Amino acid sequence: MSDLTTEQVGALAAALGLPVTADDLAEMTHRLNALIEALEPLAELPLEAVEPVPGLGEASAS
Amino acid sequence: MSADPADLAFLSARQIAALVRERKVSPVEITRVYLERIERLDSRLRAYITVVPDKALETARAAETAVMCGQPLGPLHGVPYAVKDQFDTAGVRTTSGSRILEDHVPVEDATTISRLNSAGGILLGKLNLTEFALGGTQQFPFGQPRNPWNLDHDPGGSSSGSGIAVAAGLCAASLGEDTGGSVRSPASFCGVVGLRPTWSRVSRHGSFPLSWSMDTPGPLARTVEDVAWLLQAIAGYDAKDPLSSRAPVPEYAGPLADGVRGLRVGIVRELTFGPDTDAEVREAVLEAVRCLERLGAVTEEISLRLVPFAGAIFMALADADGAGVHHRWLRSRPGDYDQGTRRRLLTASLIPAAIQQRAARARALLRAEMREALARLDLLLCPTAHQAAPPIAAARGAITGRQEVAGRFFTRRSYVTPAALAGLPAIAVPCGFTRSGLPISLQLIGRHFDEATVLRAAHAYEQQSEWSRRRPPGTS
Repeated sequence: MSDLTTEQVGALAAALGLPVTADDLAEMTHRLNALIEALEPLAELPLEAVEPVPGLGEASAS
Repeated sequence: MSADPADLAFLSARQIAALVRERKVSPVEITRVYLERIERLDSRLRAYITVVPDKALETARAAETAVMCGQPLGPLHGVPYAVKDQFDTAGVRTTSGSRILEDHVPVEDATTISRLNSAGGILLGKLNLTEFALGGTQQFPFGQPRNPWNLDHDPGGSSSGSGIAVAAGLCAASLGEDTGGSVRSPASFCGVVGLRPTWSRVSRHGSFPLSWSMDTPGPLARTVEDVAWLLQAIAGYDAKDPLSSRAPVPEYAGPLADGVRGLRVGIVRELTFGPDTDAEVREAVLEAVRCLERLGAVTEEISLRLVPFAGAIFMALADADGAGVHHRWLRSRPGDYDQGTRRRLLTASLIPAAIQQRAARARALLRAEMREALARLDLLLCPTAHQAAPPIAAARGAITGRQEVAGRFFTRRSYVTPAALAGLPAIAVPCGFTRSGLPISLQLIGRHFDEATVLRAAHAYEQQSEWSRRRPPGTS
């Protein structure tokens, strides 16, 4: 996924009705791009075969 | 009993309970000791948001009457404790560390509070935290919490006050909440013991939520034995929390003395030997490994290839959950949030669904990786944090680049979030000090619902070390 720009992040926030300032937008863009970049290598894993559940049955088994 | 008040303040919760039971210390006397210390020391430490001296002394007087009348006494009878201000307390304001809830006064106790009170505990007050237990708060609305070992350093979060108050002798024990390390991080930075129980082991009823699949109340104390007794008091099914487990609660304190002989312990390579781990931290943790080996544990290195991604996986999932919790206030009261909290939640509101799905699936793989390791090992071992407490100033100011995000948020969370993502019990126990005098912490992670083995190994190590007996400077 290519980097998001502040304009794109601003448009997303506006579409969701989130009140953001210009300073908020700059930082949000860094945060969002960092998160997407950090998770990028996981795309190489065989994720399609995985059930995306937190495993509640196992943890709550009596 | 005539003793130095500071010595009384640093007794373990179990020692206090024993002295109360033997009528050698009055609940009123020990409560006054802590109240005096809070009055004298907390203006610089900022562990507490709200102190309830009248209520505490009223409870203490009733506890004293119960002792003198020979009534049945709970296991924590007469023990003054404090709780993270994330837990509801009937008639006492509960802010979650935010201006948004600064006037919120619940009408009912959280289940954990009810259970601690039923065990005989005396509530001293409500403890400081990062806003809404998120982490990354820039300006704490109720005062900057400070590390008692060095006031310029971070006490850890989000249960900041819970770590400070225990370390500085401002309560006998405390309760925190660990969604992604929020009990273990302050325990690590403040040099005390902190336990994250198995997810669902402890009721979340009456605790302000962040992430429904990870939120876990947990105790902090100066000894592993105290943590075991607090867990005993709060663990177990609660009809008010539909996700709490019906699994039977075993006895935790009894097996503490069983030692570690024959236990198989896996040293997590990526977190212990990885490039992010500070050399002093690594050496202290490896010295703890050698200690456990001398006690009879069998250790080996193991690789968990997904744990370096755990911090980012956690933030993609837990932060998105948090954005859901806060979606109304983010729109109606954005100016009442701290800037750091607001920007984190705003960002989380925009995480693409494809990224959340990737994180959720990677979480399942991480769980499987840890479950596989714990199928043949009794415990996993690693540092609780990659470094000792950093300066408060290091996490101040706006974020100006993505590398800064990784440094401030992902790296350190990768040490504590694997257990959170997998729902496993994990303990932080002091294992040394840096040359500059800041605590270092060892983390032990166990199988689901096997807190007993986690506690037993931590206790065995603790008995061989002197770290828990040190007191922060200026706390006499």
